[in-house]
Amino acid sequence: MGSLRVSASRDSCVTSSLCVYRLPQVFDQDAEGRVVVVDEEPPDELRRELLRARRGCPTRSIRVEGPGVGDDEDGGGAQ
Amino acid sequence: MSSSCPVGYPLPWAPAPDIPESWTTLREQPLLEIKLPSGEPAFLVTWYKDVRRLFADERLSRNTFGRASRVSASNDLFGDPNIDNDPPRYLTERAVVMRAFSARRIEALREVVRRIVEELLDAMEAGPRPAELMEAFAYPLPILVICHMLGVPPQDRPKFRRLIDGFLSVTRLPVDEVEECRRQYWDYLTELIDSKRAEPGDDLISELIEISREDPARLTDYQLQHWVKTLLIAGYVTTASQLGTSMAVLLHRPEATAELKADLSLVPSAVEELLRYQMMGTSLGTLRYAVEDIELLDGTTVIPKGSTVLLSQESNMDSEEFDDPLTLDIRRTDNHHLTFGAGIHFCAGAALARMELQEATEALLRRFPGLRLAVPGEELKRPVGGFLAGYAEIPVSW
Repeated sequence: MGSLRVSASRDSCVTSSLCVYRLPQVFDQDAEGRVVVVDEEPPDELRRELLRARRGCPTRSIRVEGPGVGDDEDGGGAQ
Repeated sequence: MSSSCPVGYPLPWAPAPDIPESWTTLREQPLLEIKLPSGEPAFLVTWYKDVRRLFADERLSRNTFGRASRVSASNDLFGDPNIDNDPPRYLTERAVVMRAFSARRIEALREVVRRIVEELLDAMEAGPRPAELMEAFAYPLPILVICHMLGVPPQDRPKFRRLIDGFLSVTRLPVDEVEECRRQYWDYLTELIDSKRAEPGDDLISELIEISREDPARLTDYQLQHWVKTLLIAGYVTTASQLGTSMAVLLHRPEATAELKADLSLVPSAVEELLRYQMMGTSLGTLRYAVEDIELLDGTTVIPKGSTVLLSQESNMDSEEFDDPLTLDIRRTDNHHLTFGAGIHFCAGAALARMELQEATEALLRRFPGLRLAVPGEELKRPVGGFLAGYAEIPVSW
């Protein structure tokens, strides 16, 4: 527990809602529809889905840190 | 770069609801010279990784009016000299609209969509067999949903559809008729927005009017009208075509259909796979203009400054990204397809479209367990001269 750290860029979010549907226990949206991380240190069993959420984000607005999570393979994270 | 003749675009379809095998070899040329329906030149970017990256690259401008090649000689569909589709202006406007498409707002609409789906399927069930799926279900569903969201009165819907269909003609109608539809459509929207100003309702147009009233700098009247126009078009034909072709692709594969019917919890991943496998789209909607030279990931190919570029939807078949890309796998998990684009122009209505497709697919299979194509897949007719491919008619029986 607690080895993963998740953050997301509200500024580059375009409200695709992909992360919210994939992991509602980690991601939510504010009244304008922009991403909000509700669990910044999610349990390790969510690792795989977190990496999918990061990869799927159309503006690369999700950052996942921790042992063994690597960089987003296509690079070019949101600014 | 190849010096061979430019390839006519859109690329030819397979006769049946299948993806042509040739799409998997498109990546042999990272940048393909193509000829648009207008006869004007453009480039098609073919690698998934390039497409994904370039969707987010500001050197490719969406402000194409008057400088890029045109999609169609008789239709300036994406051209509006009064609208700047590049940041920062675009982002400000988009942010205003996006609140209506958050997951919470879309989920609040799910019950409405379910009700519309059930009503349409009641009518289909009571009608003759075979039924024609586009007319009975695929066209009415999204237009009823978007009309509900925007607050378009029911009596206006037939007129509405006629004008949108005309406006979206690429080669089917002559220039003056397309122009006439566009003008009447714009006039209709002006009236609709005026009526909402006078009498606001619980709908998206009224919500946008309120925002532009509070802070006119965020959304001018013209921009308000432009967005409403765009949302209506984008919410209608795309979803209808996708729903129709999804069902055609699925029903053409009885084993996949049986697998899905046996376990309806697979509907979301099946819908995603059918989106990847989409047969309705072309890449014409991704038209962009290169404001600088842009190098591709192969390290040698360069998109020359000043060229017109399409980011290929066909890269959903790139074998570097998708295992066994020509196989429809309704359980596919790592499916980051590009059917809704990527970057700041990612389809605003994606979550709405997904939800409609899920509800529609689930209800069709649940209510009509014997659902099947009433003609061989090879005989399904494609529409003539529209913006989207899809199918003109999909006869089904059960």
